[in-house]
Amino acid sequence: MKPENPILAGLALVAGLLFLSPVLYSIWMSFQTVDAYYAGELGFTLDNYARAVGQYNFARYLLNSLIVSGLVTLIGITFATMAAYAFARYSFRGGNFLFAATVATLMIPSHISLIPNYLTLAKVGLLDSYAGLILPAISNGFAAFFLRQYIRGIPKVLDEAAYMDGATSLQVLWRIIVPLSRPAIASMALYIFITEWNNYIWPLVAVGKQDLYTLQIGLARLYRINPGEGLIDWPLVMAASTITILPVLLGFLLVERHLVRGITMGAVK
Amino acid sequence: MSGISLRDIRKAYVNGPQVLHGVSLDIQPGEFIVIVGPSGCGKSTLLRLIAGLDRCEDGTIEIGGRRANDLAPQDRDIAMIFQNYALYPHMTVRENIAFGLELRGMKKAERNERAQSVAKILQLESYLDRKPAALSGGQRQRVAMGRAMARNASIFLMDEPLSNLDNALRITMRTEIKELHRQLGATMVYVTHDQTEALSLADRIAVMKDGHLLQFDRPDVIYDRPANRFVASFLGSPPMNFVAADMLPGWTGPHGLTAGLRPEILSVHAEKPSKAALPARMLLSEMTGADMLLHCESPAGRLTVSASRQDMPKDKEQFWIAFDLDRALFFDSENGDRVDLSVAMQP
Ligand SMILES: Nc1ncnc2c1ncn2[C@@H]1O[C@H](COP(=O)(O)OP(=O)(O)OP(=O)(O)O)[C@@H](O)[C@H]1O
Ligand SMILES: [Mg+2]
Repeated sequence: MKPENPILAGLALVAGLLFLSPVLYSIWMSFQTVDAYYAGELGFTLDNYARAVGQYNFARYLLNSLIVSGLVTLIGITFATMAAYAFARYSFRGGNFLFAATVATLMIPSHISLIPNYLTLAKVGLLDSYAGLILPAISNGFAAFFLRQYIRGIPKVLDEAAYMDGATSLQVLWRIIVPLSRPAIASMALYIFITEWNNYIWPLVAVGKQDLYTLQIGLARLYRINPGEGLIDWPLVMAASTITILPVLLGFLLVERHLVRGITMGAVK
Repeated sequence: MSGISLRDIRKAYVNGPQVLHGVSLDIQPGEFIVIVGPSGCGKSTLLRLIAGLDRCEDGTIEIGGRRANDLAPQDRDIAMIFQNYALYPHMTVRENIAFGLELRGMKKAERNERAQSVAKILQLESYLDRKPAALSGGQRQRVAMGRAMARNASIFLMDEPLSNLDNALRITMRTEIKELHRQLGATMVYVTHDQTEALSLADRIAVMKDGHLLQFDRPDVIYDRPANRFVASFLGSPPMNFVAADMLPGWTGPHGLTAGLRPEILSVHAEKPSKAALPARMLLSEMTGADMLLHCESPAGRLTVSASRQDMPKDKEQFWIAFDLDRALFFDSENGDRVDLSVAMQP
């Protein structure tokens, strides 16, 4: 590694702190009592977290969010990878049209598909269920597109070598393409996870039962709970927000080490 | 062990020119075939067709007596060494070598043992746990070689498998390939630019040019009776000299022929010898080891002569080059085909 340029490092630090400051501020706020906060005094309490989890059911919302976002990510990345592999390596009738259609989905604002999705799921009776939360999100045109571009960069002769070694096309996908696309797959998985985690409109529309609320829905409802005099209980909201952010941060730290490039080096001369 | 039979193979890449123009080749089971030809003449393309990685629009491919045009590569029982290695970058050398065995369901202990013994032959033992990126070009090439050797395929396709090795290693590997061929009895199709490799390994050599098969025969036949001037010039090092036959002293044969004189049938003399000879002047000499390579100018044109060092002419400006007309080859100056003089001279 090159020695760091101290000026650049300093600038990066300042920029980092700048971006981080609202997060740090809200975490700090989540440890204040509501009275101290409005009086402008300094205090420390874990009571906000206790209330968010106990009184307002945030443990359940966290679990729901984890289940929904986790499954959407798992199923979504699997489908996206398989589609990307097919688009990258096979030419089949209608393939170009299908690929164009996949890319075209990127141009459709999600709000437009809201009502058709709602009506479809209502018809098959899947509203108010995990399946109803998950199904509309498992196809991801952007991930398929991105992974296809990445896979096209993997030398095709590696597939061919594997075929000569006796691999089937599924084995080529699983043993050659997937390991070599790990950085791209990890990035896309993270992207799908975060998108789903932050999804607000669809869970709001698709779910009525409190037991199925995700964190984003629970969080939005907290704004309506006032400690009196029309004031919002900001420390409580911030405690709930912190609960909402933490898994995403953890998820990022988990996949971060996979987000490195340059793995195909040394394949061909 | 299976034979390969190619019938009138034609191939054009999509949006590209035609690469193969009707190649036919009958390879016996267990035969060692070497394909030579200038760069871009379609050697790799031909291997890819045999492997099943590309499809030919015309002609038939038979493997082991069965039509194979529509057979998937996995079902052809062929091991292949790619010209650019195609090592799996995310696997260690051991895993690279053992991957094909794993796919065929061999137990881990057994396949690691096989990888180990292959690595030993290829002098790769100390690199078994490295990834390809951490290997030199020659080491990578040997891993590619090992990947094919580990498999007990009935046909081996090798696309310039030794091109990146140093001389000593290349000679060792050449022997290993020959030994492998003897042990497995597999059919081998081997592409090379190195004529020593071609002449020493091949049961039969196929010479290609511009997508055409020019000659397919035993190495000695190719060397002694090349089909045409191109084949004659392509094999043999240093290459054959070509001079107009009419320029040779005492020439009584028909007109319009080109004589082909291999450097080894020429000899240098200080005085005019009794047999046929041309006066010459030296332009350049090259040391090749025990011998010197002399580039000379004669009334018939430029000649390259191979001479031992003590036979070097003292006077570089004036000496004689003698030749054995009986050992010369003759080609039609128009189309380059070889002319059998004993037939041509018949009254
Ligand atoms: N995928 C492809 N698409 C279009 N043209 C191709 C393709 N692959 C090869 N060619 C062309 O086909 C011709 C033959 O190529 P090929 O690789 O078979 O040559 P080669 O005899 O193996 O040459 P070398 O000795 O340099 O390896 C070349 O002119 C090349 O440009
Ligand atoms: Mg080639």
